[in-house]
Amino acid sequence: MTLIDRVDGNLPRGRVTVELDDIQATVLRYRPEPYYGTHVMLHVDDARAGREFLRRLTPHVASAADWWQAGEPWIAVAITYSGLVALGVPEGSLQSFPEAFRVGMAARADKLLDYGENDPSHWEPHFGSGLIHIGVSVFSDSEETWRRTMASARRHYDGRPGLTVLTAQDFGAQPGDLNALGYKDSIGQPAIEGSGVEPLPGQGPAIKAGEFILGYPGEAGVPLPVPRPDVLGRNGTFVGLRKYQSRVGAFNRFLQAHARTEHERELLAAKLVGRWRSGAPLTLAPDRDDPELGADPLRNNDFTYAADPHGHQVPLGAHMRRMNPRDTKLGLLTDVNIHRIIRRSTTYGAPYDPNAISKQDDEVARGLYFIFISAKAMATMEFLQQEWINNGNFMGLGEERDPNVGLQEDGATFTIPQEPVRRRIHGIETFNVLRGGEYFFLPSLPALRWMGASPSD
Amino acid sequence: MDKQAQLQTGPEQDPAVEQKIQRLRELFADAPEVGKTALENVLQRLTSDASKTPPPPVESVGRVGSRLGKVSELTIIVPFAPGGAERLRAFLRLFGGNLAGADEVGTVHDMRFVFLDNATRMLFATAYDGDWDAYIDDFATKIPDFLDIIDSAWEGWPGIRSPEAKDYLAKYQVTAEGWYVANDLTVAETRRLKRIGEAVEEFLDKVGD
Repeated sequence: MTLIDRVDGNLPRGRVTVELDDIQATVLRYRPEPYYGTHVMLHVDDARAGREFLRRLTPHVASAADWWQAGEPWIAVAITYSGLVALGVPEGSLQSFPEAFRVGMAARADKLLDYGENDPSHWEPHFGSGLIHIGVSVFSDSEETWRRTMASARRHYDGRPGLTVLTAQDFGAQPGDLNALGYKDSIGQPAIEGSGVEPLPGQGPAIKAGEFILGYPGEAGVPLPVPRPDVLGRNGTFVGLRKYQSRVGAFNRFLQAHARTEHERELLAAKLVGRWRSGAPLTLAPDRDDPELGADPLRNNDFTYAADPHGHQVPLGAHMRRMNPRDTKLGLLTDVNIHRIIRRSTTYGAPYDPNAISKQDDEVARGLYFIFISAKAMATMEFLQQEWINNGNFMGLGEERDPNVGLQEDGATFTIPQEPVRRRIHGIETFNVLRGGEYFFLPSLPALRWMGASPSD
Repeated sequence: MDKQAQLQTGPEQDPAVEQKIQRLRELFADAPEVGKTALENVLQRLTSDASKTPPPPVESVGRVGSRLGKVSELTIIVPFAPGGAERLRAFLRLFGGNLAGADEVGTVHDMRFVFLDNATRMLFATAYDGDWDAYIDDFATKIPDFLDIIDSAWEGWPGIRSPEAKDYLAKYQVTAEGWYVANDLTVAETRRLKRIGEAVEEFLDKVGD
């Protein structure tokens, strides 16, 4: 279902000031509902074969034109730094990319606080090795069109000399589109100025396009440095991918240990995230889930924290409030708008099982490809990991961490503000463990054509 | 954020420490007599305290600078632009030299602005929470004017919104050779504990009446 259909045509249209025809669809199109798709990771053994692949595939890569009403499946192509090298992009261009992108996510583990069980030494094969060069993703809203689109994408890389398929991971197709911990997710995306759609209720003021797309002014009034030449950098952006294994057993054990009834367990699950499983926010549904509210994109994000400064409804440490504090009064001088990301996360593996409580259940393959898009994705992710996810200082929570994607240390706590005294739960565990990650450049369509037609061919 | 502190072994067991002490004695061979005597006194005390675990070494923070626990140090020594010293001095005097407006930043413990060498260079020193440049982009959108008034006193300041601002600061930053932090608490934690302390005193006052 397209965005405009989801809101029954009530979409506040705005001016288009970004070059939608040149920008890849994934930057602006919301994840379909329901959603089906595949992430394929490719290795380029031979630069000429890699460029030929780009030449053949690019005509099938969708643009962001009319993104709010475009309903067909789409293909996205993203390239790592080692991929740019493998494709023979000139040295001068390579050096114009940000350092964190060039060295890659694994090499920035200390900045991302990816240590302990999240350390790159525990990652799945290929991630962080420099072998992943090109990521191809297919998104679709039906199984049939997904399979058809995959088949047409596959024709361009399967069995082609000079290209190797490293992994192909199907995603989505979950009952009710719930993630591996049983929640509806990806609600509450940032509104982007000049994208053609005005902010939906609760999205807050539109954020300057330059925060998300290279070549436009950002919130500071100036564009970020754009990779050279202009045809390569402009209208591109960066993507971070982090593959998480969801420890469903640990999550269910936590709920059972700290809540007595089914209702209390669901309330605790909602306090961790800030939303009930349906997506209904605690701010608007403080006492019980409201699936109709959760399913309504015109209402499920339409709130502020003005009436909840102390977190009695949405705890200050809840995942949703950490990742977008909105109007929460923070103790540290912060511009919330410059730390937002576009999320295109996808759930993979077995569906959530509320009865799974064993340690073995923690390792049943299921989880999340956390996919985030920003013109400064590397810097933003380092900020989020250091300040908003694996820290509590900005919310006055000391060393408490994000209950959803934080890396918990022994004896970690989660605080639920309430009257007369707050409840502090001890012994929260890491519910989502990092199993891999990469940074990609998401080039514009002209940049894909430019790379495909390198002069040496 | 705290990684496990690396513990050193006592000086007696550690040949690296023995080497450091050896090196110290060599250097102090040319020192004035009071220095030599003082060193031997201190070394003797350290050796007799060998059972005590020495404190963890400071960590490096970002590109330049050191951190102890949650608190980091930043020292910048930078040449003034022509007329910059006069401009900055006049600006600081507008507030009587008190930069209380920095309260809202919430990560800064202290700051000092010292004019050196006949006001041709400036020393800026601060203790702050966390990582070197985590919030520098926030400063660029929230308080750019204050920073550009102060920093444009410096030679070649590119402007806080410039992508070169971080490189500029790193270029003039000098890492402290030694660093001590009494309170391993962030500014936010200190403020919270102050509020809690006041509430507890109020409570005890009422109970005690």
